[in-house]
Amino acid sequence: MSPVTVLVIDDEPQIRRAVRNALTSGRLFGGYGDLPTESTTTRSESQRGVRVIEAVTGREGIDFAAAESPALIILDLGLPDMSGIEVCREIRRWSSAPIIVLSARHADTEKVALLDAGADDYLTKPFSTIELVARVRAQLRRAQTAAVPNDPIVTIGDLTVDLERRRVERGGTLVHLTPTEWLLLRTFVTHPRQTLTHRQLFRAVWGNASGDAQQYLRVYVGHLRRKIEADSVRPQFIQTEAGVGYRFEPASTP
Amino acid sequence: MLAVRARLDKAHVALIFLLVVLGGSSAGGRVLGIALAFGAFLAFNFFFLPPYLTFALADPLDWLVLVTFLITSIVAAQLLYRATSTAEVATARAAEVDRLATLGAETLNLARPEDALRAILEVIRTTLDVVSCDVIVHGPGGGFVTVARSPAEGNGGAREAGAVRFESSNPTARASVLGWPDTTDTTSAEGLVGWIFVHGRGAVELADGAIRIVDDPALETARSDRSDEVRALWIALAVRNETVGVLRVRTPGDLRLTLDQARFLDALAYYVALGVERRRLVADAERAEAERRVEALRRALLTAVSHDLRTPLTTIKAIAHEIADGGPTDGARVIEEESDRLDALVGDLLDLSRIQSGAIGPSMEVNTADDLIGAALRRADAILRGRVIDVELPPNDLLAGRFDLTHALRALVNLLENASKYSPAASPITIRARQEGDRLRISVLDRGPGVPDEERERIFEPFYRPATTAPDVRGTGLGLSIARGLAVAQGGAVEFEPRAGGGSVFTLVLPGADGAVPDADDSDLPGRALSDTA
Repeated sequence: MSPVTVLVIDDEPQIRRAVRNALTSGRLFGGYGDLPTESTTTRSESQRGVRVIEAVTGREGIDFAAAESPALIILDLGLPDMSGIEVCREIRRWSSAPIIVLSARHADTEKVALLDAGADDYLTKPFSTIELVARVRAQLRRAQTAAVPNDPIVTIGDLTVDLERRRVERGGTLVHLTPTEWLLLRTFVTHPRQTLTHRQLFRAVWGNASGDAQQYLRVYVGHLRRKIEADSVRPQFIQTEAGVGYRFEPASTP
Repeated sequence: MLAVRARLDKAHVALIFLLVVLGGSSAGGRVLGIALAFGAFLAFNFFFLPPYLTFALADPLDWLVLVTFLITSIVAAQLLYRATSTAEVATARAAEVDRLATLGAETLNLARPEDALRAILEVIRTTLDVVSCDVIVHGPGGGFVTVARSPAEGNGGAREAGAVRFESSNPTARASVLGWPDTTDTTSAEGLVGWIFVHGRGAVELADGAIRIVDDPALETARSDRSDEVRALWIALAVRNETVGVLRVRTPGDLRLTLDQARFLDALAYYVALGVERRRLVADAERAEAERRVEALRRALLTAVSHDLRTPLTTIKAIAHEIADGGPTDGARVIEEESDRLDALVGDLLDLSRIQSGAIGPSMEVNTADDLIGAALRRADAILRGRVIDVELPPNDLLAGRFDLTHALRALVNLLENASKYSPAASPITIRARQEGDRLRISVLDRGPGVPDEERERIFEPFYRPATTAPDVRGTGLGLSIARGLAVAQGGAVEFEPRAGGGSVFTLVLPGADGAVPDADDSDLPGRALSDTA
């Protein structure tokens, strides 16, 4: 099987080195004890190699992304020649490869802008390599399974969501949702493990219209949480990404 | 009187009549007094000087008595009138002085000197019925700025610093300024203001754009013999013989004041001068205070950088050296821990400098207490590991506020860290959220030793750590100060109170969500049924 190509766009040689080591150390596809191995990881996949290519500038990164069609791109924001958001937008015009952004702290607005521009995930520096590997693996898996049509009935723990009949059950009991709550839940369930910015959620629920209701997005999420979560301040499914948005975690780790 | 006429002397009659005249003029004013004097003159002649009941006089000397009586009566009435009106003016003056004093005390006592200035300008503008008043002072970077204005102009700011301009634009006419020194730039209002600052005199701006330098522009406007139209007055504001500002009074038509109004304007101009001076003193004091705090912070920062940053660096360097020399690699874990410590410290220092420089623009959104507490518990997970955390929320209401989630989250995490650091590991920490008026209050309650009274404010100072802190409690002493800074930046607060039964309660106060939060079962999308959304 051909190796998975990962493109790293970063001007810091030490970070490139750390990322390369983390991805090629064999941790990415199984075989590492302290990471939960999921059933979808097949044996053949775990034997695939990882090829890491490195770009130092944004321009070089865009060229490599076009020439090498990487399966995943890791993009650092502090590039010398162009802003990360430009790189992200440019690549998104013709590539659907997942993009994971590396950013410094205190850059919430930048993170949001990047996610809105098509980035899939972000990591805050300094990050642990375990975290990086976990995120890369999640994104690769998501990219792989996205094409497969979803089963209309999604079961997560004690929660059953029937996307076709629009029914939600928790522990066998029917949960009554308002239309807004339903649209929110549907968006979450169909975008698992993905950080959805507030704007992306607005668009999914209210379309492109803007209105008074939008400012209460977080309140609607709060109501939804109280209906589907066992403990609304220690949520199992809908995680808050402060300053950015929400992330739906179907793999419950209570 | 007629009955006893035969026994009366002329002097008695004259005195009685004089009494009547004085009584009349004190009660009814000058006109009545003089009319009574003439009436008494005629009655004296007709009834009391022989031959009686005629205006003829038997004794020519009686004319002398009569005329003397008349003159005396008129003079007396006149004197009495003057005395009365002087007293009235004095009373009116006293009332005006009283009013000015009250106004002065009231306005100068306003908390912000700019508000006081604006209040006085407002009084001038409405009393004199002019279009606008403003105060011009030296700007911070040279030049002149307007510090107060009435009426206050748009974008909420009477503070706005606009260029100073003439009311009318006619530079050629301005060249013919009376008493204007040749060396000064006569074409710009800035030049005029500068000149007023140096010489402490005022100016009158005329309709044709000409400027006349005068000592008292207000009195100049009140002169009845002037023929030119006045557009604006430029009054020097002096305190202790030093010009501190220029008061400009403008009107589109002719500005014509009565003498009283002119005097009133001059008196108020002095209050304006005091207001300007107070503003300057307050600014000086604030600057001195800010400098003192910056200096204190700088010193604390140096200590922190030299100690708190170097300690982990020393550890990292030593262990890295060991590993490079082929020593045991189990120290790598310590390197990671120390790196995290450094990262936290750098983050704290960044936050602190942002707060101190006012560079955190909070983005206020409607957020829920659930989100805030949930995210804080997740972020503080490593610190709170193994501890019992009780969360007390109203069971049915979803509490919401309008605040910046990222900043509020950092503040709450800091409070949790603080509680965890300073209370026994076996004791539970309680998080309690509630709505109080238009505030959302999130309290962190611990069973630690509490805070002595004298340290209740000091604990919020950067780098402050209580002397009793156990040596193994790590931290920079920035947590509470950052928490408070982030809360205040979004209109909230962090408050401390002792906990009943021992321990501390730190409360993060955040702005509420002004009520209009949708309920759980609101039909929030009217007209949009579920079937439309597939």
